[in-house]
Amino acid sequence: MGLFLKDINLKGKTALVTGATKGLGRGAAIALAQVGANIIAVGRNISELKSLGKIIKKLNVKYTSFNCDVNDYKTIKNNITKLKKLDILINNAGTNIPEPFLKVKDSSLETLLNVNTKAVFNIAQLCANQIIKLNKKGGSIINISSIFGLVAGQDRTVYSMTKFGVEGLTKGMALDLAKYNIRVNSVCPNIVLTPRTKKYFANKKYNKYVKESTPLDKIATVSDVATSIAFLASEASSMITGTSIIIDGGWTAK
Amino acid sequence: MFKKINLKGKTALVTGAGKGLGKACAIALAEAGAKVITISRTKSDLAKVDKIIKKTKGSSKSFVCDVTDLDSFKILLKKINNLDILVNNAGTNRPEHFTKVKRGNMEYLTNLNMKAVFNIAQLCAQKMVKAKNRIKIGGSIIHMSSQLGKVGCEGRNVYNMNKFGVEGLARGMACELAKYNIRVNTVCPTFVETPMVKAFFKNKKFKNKMLKNIPLGRIATESDVATAVAFLAADSSAMITGTSLVVDGGWTAQ
Repeated sequence: MGLFLKDINLKGKTALVTGATKGLGRGAAIALAQVGANIIAVGRNISELKSLGKIIKKLNVKYTSFNCDVNDYKTIKNNITKLKKLDILINNAGTNIPEPFLKVKDSSLETLLNVNTKAVFNIAQLCANQIIKLNKKGGSIINISSIFGLVAGQDRTVYSMTKFGVEGLTKGMALDLAKYNIRVNSVCPNIVLTPRTKKYFANKKYNKYVKESTPLDKIATVSDVATSIAFLASEASSMITGTSIIIDGGWTAK
Repeated sequence: MFKKINLKGKTALVTGAGKGLGKACAIALAEAGAKVITISRTKSDLAKVDKIIKKTKGSSKSFVCDVTDLDSFKILLKKINNLDILVNNAGTNRPEHFTKVKRGNMEYLTNLNMKAVFNIAQLCAQKMVKAKNRIKIGGSIIHMSSQLGKVGCEGRNVYNMNKFGVEGLARGMACELAKYNIRVNTVCPTFVETPMVKAFFKNKKFKNKMLKNIPLGRIATESDVATAVAFLAADSSAMITGTSLVVDGGWTAQ
């Protein structure tokens, strides 16, 4: 820490990251490890968890992984309540099934609500309880939201419903957890190029739409989002709670 | 993956740099490696800030100038070779009940908090776009807004009007300056430990009432805000434009 500039430093902190094997979750895990955090990765793919572990361990921090589905409440609960250290949650696991409103399948609605809303809530609650139990100094919870938590997008009705929900949850949690000095914020990226969004970008029309919607005329990188997550996780943002960092190149400013 | 807050090789201009938040921002930006140009009406204040920056091995140059005096500011800008970052900070407040607001105070606040903010931003942006490599190296303008740029508060109607205006200005500027890769954002702090707020908080009843509105139960430090400004100034936030970083301990989440 300088006189006025605070460091983004997570040495000695432990962060749990869901959806850690791919895209933003993987980026967040690596970025947090780069600034010193020990990482607990949650993901569904054993070999990807292992390869992430190799990268993280090279950064001289501890690495643990849970191979489980965020929808599997029993297993998740069992794992989280056994943790000996926990300061930070990156509540990242999420998905999307773009469909026009009139054609949204019941099964798609079910999947998105389960992953993006119910699992996000459950994991946040379990981790908050565990942080309170283990750590009197507080902590930081970051929910991965989206610009579609702030505005609508074509074929994104269910996704918007779930992400607007995450924005509401973030503010509500921030109020309830402030007395424990647990800060709760979200990050709202525009469309980041990840394994999940790769297929969208394959469509020329979609590419054009994203380009035209983003004043800065570029898509966010995983590194852009992971850096904001690290900032929110650290004491550099110790007065920031109940809000969102919008990483959208001006998409929602219009 | 993680992008450090690093301003080496950048030149930043900070208005209202003699005291409070401006002073903290100037020092924080210098700590992050920027060459800082400090502006204030009071020479002795600037000398103190320069001394601190020198002590921390930073680089700074100061100019005595009233930001409402456009001609002087124009002359000053001519003396500067390059500009990458503007912290548009100079501002003040004169709290009065709406029905009792004196016209002179409304004029004074609006001239400083809106007119000068606009003019300084325009002049600096004109200077910034002239750099041939601007698109490559980018630029960043940060307006000092307030939580009162987001929500109302008793006795703050003029300040509310001014700061909501600054929020609008930031979004408009972000859309127009994106093509030069100049990002424009605001920082919205809650009450901060500054000379201005210390004067308001002499009224204990007011202080307690305000503290009740901050879920985290404390007011922000100058360092909290200056760190957020440095984050927005740096490439750590390369995809963030047209938005606000709310540093309010949860005030506006309610």
